[in-house]
Amino acid sequence: MAIAESAPELPLFDLRLEPQDFEAVAQTLRSGWLTLGPRTAEFEQAFAEHLGARHAIAVSSCTAALHLSYLAAGVGPGDEVIVPAFTFAATATAAIYCGATPVFAEISSREQPMLDPEDVAAKITARTKAVCVVHYAGYAAAVDRLKELCDAHQIALIEDVAHAPSASHQGRKLGTWGLAGAFSFFSNKVLSVGEGGLVCTDDDEVAAFVRSRRSQAMTSGTWDRHSGRTDTYDVVALGYNYRLDEPRSALLLSRLQRLESEIERRRELTYRYRELLSQVPGIIVPFEDSQVPESCCYVIPIMLAQDGRQSEVSAGLRERGIQTSIFYPSIHKFTAYRERFPDISLPVTELASRTELTLPFYPHMSNADQDRVARALTEVIGT
Amino acid sequence: MSDWRMPLTDIKVPEQDVEAVLDCLRSGWLTMGPRTQAFEAALAEFVGTPHAVAVSSGTAALHLACLAAGIGEGDEVIVPALTFVASASAARYVGAQPVLCDVLGPHDFNIDVQDVERRITPRTRAVVAVHFCGYPAQALALRELCDRHNLILIEDCAQAIGAVVDENGRQVGTVGELGAFSFFSKKQLCVGEGGMVSSADPELAGKVRQLRSHAMTSGTWDRHRGHDPAYDIVDIGFNFRLDEPRAALGLSRLPRLQQDIAQRRALVRAYRERLAGTPGIEVPWSDLAVERSSHFAFPVLLPDREARDRFRDDLKQAGVQSTWYPALHTFTDYRHLTPQGGLPGAEQASWRHCALPLSSSMQESDVDLVVEVVRNAVAQLA
Repeated sequence: MAIAESAPELPLFDLRLEPQDFEAVAQTLRSGWLTLGPRTAEFEQAFAEHLGARHAIAVSSCTAALHLSYLAAGVGPGDEVIVPAFTFAATATAAIYCGATPVFAEISSREQPMLDPEDVAAKITARTKAVCVVHYAGYAAAVDRLKELCDAHQIALIEDVAHAPSASHQGRKLGTWGLAGAFSFFSNKVLSVGEGGLVCTDDDEVAAFVRSRRSQAMTSGTWDRHSGRTDTYDVVALGYNYRLDEPRSALLLSRLQRLESEIERRRELTYRYRELLSQVPGIIVPFEDSQVPESCCYVIPIMLAQDGRQSEVSAGLRERGIQTSIFYPSIHKFTAYRERFPDISLPVTELASRTELTLPFYPHMSNADQDRVARALTEVIGT
Repeated sequence: MSDWRMPLTDIKVPEQDVEAVLDCLRSGWLTMGPRTQAFEAALAEFVGTPHAVAVSSGTAALHLACLAAGIGEGDEVIVPALTFVASASAARYVGAQPVLCDVLGPHDFNIDVQDVERRITPRTRAVVAVHFCGYPAQALALRELCDRHNLILIEDCAQAIGAVVDENGRQVGTVGELGAFSFFSKKQLCVGEGGMVSSADPELAGKVRQLRSHAMTSGTWDRHRGHDPAYDIVDIGFNFRLDEPRAALGLSRLPRLQQDIAQRRALVRAYRERLAGTPGIEVPWSDLAVERSSHFAFPVLLPDREARDRFRDDLKQAGVQSTWYPALHTFTDYRHLTPQGGLPGAEQASWRHCALPLSSSMQESDVDLVVEVVRNAVAQLA
């Protein structure tokens, strides 16, 4: 059934870099300094300023960013972290790395497929140490309500901002509402570099903790020693190698200059896509037009109105050269999670997972290609 | 960028490497795909191992090696005290207890096989053999010991890609059940941050492959190439992936690795010749070990810690960067793991050594420069 071993005509994402990006990476490589150093520091500062956060600490991936954010929030063995199940597994897995238990809460609806504050409130126990909110597809979750809730219970709010760099809520950038925000620079993301991530925070202690643990909890780094600042180091805790390297920081720094204009383009395309998709019978298009201005418009998710057709519709689109993905299968339904956390029921999440398809979307997507996707979807759903 | 007249390591990235990375960036495909596959195949051939799995760092490689080997809560892992901290962190990541053992001493910084044997208990599951500074540890003796006690042997090859363990040229990373390599920026083969796990066992390699990417049953590349978008997650995995630009860089540099190692060896021979007979300076390891080493670092020995520290100050004054490796049990977070009687070999080697500049881009004239500074510095000590 699958058109094996061939790239789709309309891929899910299509990354195009610019000559100035190549130049930035080439210069870094030619400098011969590849490990955590001045370019990473410069990127961190630029990104922190962009967000309006006190600190930004670049790490190797969003998974690493979540792990360090949870640890910084004091999450440890016996604790619980409330997370949505309608997200990439790392949101929950990072809690397991800390020895804690992820507790899955419902999403509000298929139209607003993000953490339902009421269900979060119902799932808070004496063991709850943190809540992680995911700003799905680049749209703001109910972060203001969740912040109030977490403050009232004195638990940490962590934001999984993997989808949502530069998105905002009430004029405040996402990632800066909670104790820490975890960003992703994975290759299909809005600001992508290959593998990479970042933790932002306004809390000096969280920042120092994350900085220490990303590089083996060593009291000085290679760059410090190279630049003559220090001579030796101590190891003060169990740390990790969650460092980003300089070529990736250079690429991020170069791409950051265009982030706002690319997001603007994504918004224009999203409005047009939404208009086209509103004409396709048998689908739900999550979110409202009014949410687009605050979103960074990462992806275009749709939900099939009818349950049980996801695989068939995906295959039909693939036959027409259109790649789709599922953002996301429910975490608690994966084998590894069913074994560890059986008997979890989240009907809204599960229905969303069974009916969601993510459509091709990238800043240089043409009107004709958008038309083609909408037409194919109408055809496939109609059959 | 630095004011060092002679930095510890100096990485040169020639235009062909830059071009390989730019080619990859132009392709727009940055996550694990064809370049990573090609890099893995080339690494497997270079090392002489059936399976090579690229990962995000040497630390990640050790972590996944421990997980794949089934090491967990309640287990003990024997680790030499003179190594980079990740060799011991890996055991802790999986809930096991690192047990520090001694190294042979200032004449050979590598793991002491007899001391390993003394520290075996019913809870011991594995031994981490670190090939320190590029010099191969006694891997074959450790293999025999581990077989006798039914232990897993993990080779920490972070500093030793291309080093050989016997007269037939068998490389490090092929003796243990698993080998962990690093492509950190100071290493013989460097890409920035990166690593690799080697194994002859398809099941162990498969486990590492699975766990490096969240134990997902398909990857982004597979789905891009037309696989069904559905996937399962079958274990608690990690994001320890390498990406394509780094794989492209590694792939471009790998064909020069053997030549780079030969240059490093030539420089070490030159250092040793010139320093021979210099009062107050000794060099560890034998001439045979030098032939088998892949020469990550070139340490020399001073009479004691105080002399070493003064010596390093003098080198710094003269613009020559140097470094040294603390023993693990001297770190705040590892002090409680110091066994009764201490670890005298590791302590002596650690306090007395100083690693001098060494890079494949150095010339013999650079060695002459450093040696002159070294001679002056030792003369000051007397």
